[in-house]
Amino acid sequence: MPTTTSTITTNETTGVAASTRAATPEPAWSPFADRLLVVAAILATAGGVFVRLWHLNTVGFNSDETVYAGQAASIAGNVALKPFFPIFRAHPMLFQTLLSTAYHGSASDLVARLFAAAAGVLTVVVVYALGKLLYGRRAGLIAALLMALMPYHVIVSRQMLLDGPLTLFATLTIYLIARFVISGRRTWLYAAGGALGLTFLSKEVGLIFVGAGYAFFALSPKIRPRWRDFGVALVVMAAVVSPYPLSMVFAGRTHTGGQYLTWQLFRRPNHSVTFYATHVPQAIGPAVLVLAVAGLWLLRRHKSWRETLLLSFVGVPIVFFALWPVKGFQYLLPTAAPLAILAGRTLAGWVPDRSADAPKRRRQGSVAVLMTVVVLATLAVPSWHRIHPTRSGAVLAGSGGVPGGREAGRWIADTVPKGAELMTLGPSMANIIEFYGHRRAYGLSVSPNPLHRNPSYSALSNPDLAIRNNDLQYIVWDSFSASRSTFFAEKLLEFVHKYNGRAVHTETVMATGPDGRRVAKPVITIYEVRP
Amino acid sequence: MKSHRFIAAVAAGLVTLGFAPSAAAGSPAPADPPTKTPIKHFVVLMQENHSFDNYFGTFPGADGIPAGTCMPNSRTDPKAGCVTPFHIGGKAIIDLDHTPTVSARQLNHGKMDGFVSVFNERNREGSLAMGYYDQRELPFYWDIAKKYVLFDKYFTSAAGGSFWNHMFWVAGTAGTPRDSIPSEGLGALPTIFDRLQEKGISWKFYVQNYDPKINFRHPAEGDRGSQTVWVPLLDYARFIDDPALSSHIVDMSQYYKDLRDGTLPAVAYVAPSGASEHPPGDLQPGQRLIRTMITELMRSSAWPSSAFMWAYDDWGGWYDHVAPPQVDKYGYGFRAPSLLVSPYARQGQVNSTQLDSTSMLKFIEDNWGLRPLAERDAKANSPISAFDFSKGPRAPTFFSTVPAPHVQRANHGLLYGTYAAAVAIPTLLAGAGFFGARRRRRVRLATVRPDEGGNI
Repeated sequence: MPTTTSTITTNETTGVAASTRAATPEPAWSPFADRLLVVAAILATAGGVFVRLWHLNTVGFNSDETVYAGQAASIAGNVALKPFFPIFRAHPMLFQTLLSTAYHGSASDLVARLFAAAAGVLTVVVVYALGKLLYGRRAGLIAALLMALMPYHVIVSRQMLLDGPLTLFATLTIYLIARFVISGRRTWLYAAGGALGLTFLSKEVGLIFVGAGYAFFALSPKIRPRWRDFGVALVVMAAVVSPYPLSMVFAGRTHTGGQYLTWQLFRRPNHSVTFYATHVPQAIGPAVLVLAVAGLWLLRRHKSWRETLLLSFVGVPIVFFALWPVKGFQYLLPTAAPLAILAGRTLAGWVPDRSADAPKRRRQGSVAVLMTVVVLATLAVPSWHRIHPTRSGAVLAGSGGVPGGREAGRWIADTVPKGAELMTLGPSMANIIEFYGHRRAYGLSVSPNPLHRNPSYSALSNPDLAIRNNDLQYIVWDSFSASRSTFFAEKLLEFVHKYNGRAVHTETVMATGPDGRRVAKPVITIYEVRP
Repeated sequence: MKSHRFIAAVAAGLVTLGFAPSAAAGSPAPADPPTKTPIKHFVVLMQENHSFDNYFGTFPGADGIPAGTCMPNSRTDPKAGCVTPFHIGGKAIIDLDHTPTVSARQLNHGKMDGFVSVFNERNREGSLAMGYYDQRELPFYWDIAKKYVLFDKYFTSAAGGSFWNHMFWVAGTAGTPRDSIPSEGLGALPTIFDRLQEKGISWKFYVQNYDPKINFRHPAEGDRGSQTVWVPLLDYARFIDDPALSSHIVDMSQYYKDLRDGTLPAVAYVAPSGASEHPPGDLQPGQRLIRTMITELMRSSAWPSSAFMWAYDDWGGWYDHVAPPQVDKYGYGFRAPSLLVSPYARQGQVNSTQLDSTSMLKFIEDNWGLRPLAERDAKANSPISAFDFSKGPRAPTFFSTVPAPHVQRANHGLLYGTYAAAVAIPTLLAGAGFFGARRRRRVRLATVRPDEGGNI
């Protein structure tokens, strides 16, 4: 016997016969199974928090993190970082502004990542609320557990990246839309517009979720809100978004956003079209994906607007980012929450034999709990492995900190004379050097052609002349950039040899050599060069 | 084995008795006698032809261009108007005359009103003399002035051109009544390098693009001819003919090698070539040269015990508002820029000690215990007040020759206010949603009759 009744009401505002409770009746589980689920929930929640905090600050920032933390420091008026990290750079600054409130002392890596981790944990809470709202408490609980331990979300929410808050607000938007559809109260739709605005303020690509919302309403003909309510929701969204253009206008930096958009639209792809297919499923968890898809088939009899809503918020970002030339590991993170809820729905709602007697159905419930534990284990193990620093000397952008980067930067801050200028292989290491080393650094690979470079970066039009003029005194080689661009790595070392480069500092990571022994592998080398 | 010990003992004895070969050029500094200050390496450079007001007339805290300055176009016609100081920027300049005659007419018996008219009277563009540069063109010099020491009472030694002033720089005297190189050379007139040589103190004269074939016997035509003016030692027979002395005059590249090898001499004089900043030349090569020299000094082992001082040999015809004191028949001339960089230099000091190029001689003589060369250096003030030896050496700071990028300013109140409002809007709406839902539930609970049950 179902534990939850489904009360059907016809909603005047949305015009939909919406269920005030979960659409998929939760099958009866034995009290033991439910208790087991609660225990698993407690353990997994603790585990989710643990994997987001464990050794959170062991490895320093990666390039993107330095940019956002640097912006926050500049907003807070940090004199040392302000010359290197302009406040108005590329993205809106909701998260950076929030972080800046804690940066009035010093720019701490740990504090920034705690903010990111907090956003990650909040997302798990919203996933629970959304799962519960759509499919009942059990589904919400399982979805939150999957999200808590999902490597994709764990990895990104351990970093000071904008994609964590973006995912939080995108998930909140889904929740508020769901509340609107269920309750029919237009206030929820307006709030959803506001949450959508916050999604944009986290990162401008949040705008694509307007498309996701549109797709949902377009594909759900029974849900017909009044156009006026849509209009008000859009006005609310515009009001929430307004700080971004307003602050740019008042700072006279309107061209910054325009330049960045132009560059993003016309830049060359940074990864192949198969990038997401090869990297993201593994990070989300194959079991989660299988469960999400399987549930759509197995529970097809219970199909409702709920799946349309979730799939709209999965499909639109996937299509957009597959077409968008710039690809980043973390860009598809907002799809993780709806996928986790779909997977949670499957585990909580599917029973092999609904006509079975009560004891058998309870046993089936126990099996579902066991399955949940197994799936959680398939997520927890890779999460545990991926939160350890890389030992390969290569780092996928967005997948974690850069080993040795902070240490090299701090060595520079302590040792290299103030005002010295450095040349790195690429702009990523330049950002890290500027954040930790407080010295101007230029990426050799940054194109002098403004059409081919991020407008935030300055190019070295003639690095050879810069060294001869003594404008550059140090060269920084790093294995992470070298693994991505052998051409520029060779050019960089040519300058090292030409100008009597002398290695003055090396950062290493412990790696396993071909003979199986642990060896110190150089990842960053700083050379002093002289004209 | 015993023979080795014997040879070593004899060698040690010879060294003790003073029979060791004279310190060759480039020998390491440890052989130098002790100094009175922590400065073991004093590097001096003489650039060309700019007045103090031309470079630092608008520098905050310095004795710069007075407000309301307007230089008459004519000494005789008051209706001809006047020229106010203006920012030269990237405008092309010419080499203004800077002879003793021009200096005297600009000074105009202390009236200081002939800076423009002297050129107008010669049908030249006199207003250019009132032009000045600032941080925009001289970011490196201005940054140095902000972090180290700028002298705003440094006068050129002679109210004339390059030769006299370079002679005062090395010999403490004009050397010749005419502001030009005597055809027979400078004879036995002592220089600071003779004093250093006598006491076995290491020294070198670094010359940019040095050509050993050019000297007073074989002067060069055109710009290369300036080598014998800017390196007065090349006007002495002994500094040309005696290898023990001539080997100390070396190309600038040796400076960088000496820094790398740790063989920077105790006293180093430097003469530029193309990077002299002599109008109408570009200022930037001069800034880059000095930046490179200072940067490399900062990166060397010599930095903690070094001082680098540079000045400009004459005023170049440019306006300067301070009437120079008359100390003898040669000078002083108008003020010129002068700066000091050292780990012991006071930080951001505008030093107003009255100095001239013989002040550099004075410091060398005081620091290494040498006799004065002439009356001028004997009476000169030393730049010692620009040092603070009570603290340890300062860590170096590099400066750029390009202006620092503009740091964005943001309205922080607006930023925080608008973002806070952005977060508040959906929060309030969601709160209203929750509140409304709870209120409706309460209303429904209140209106449900007991017999309807509680299955809501």
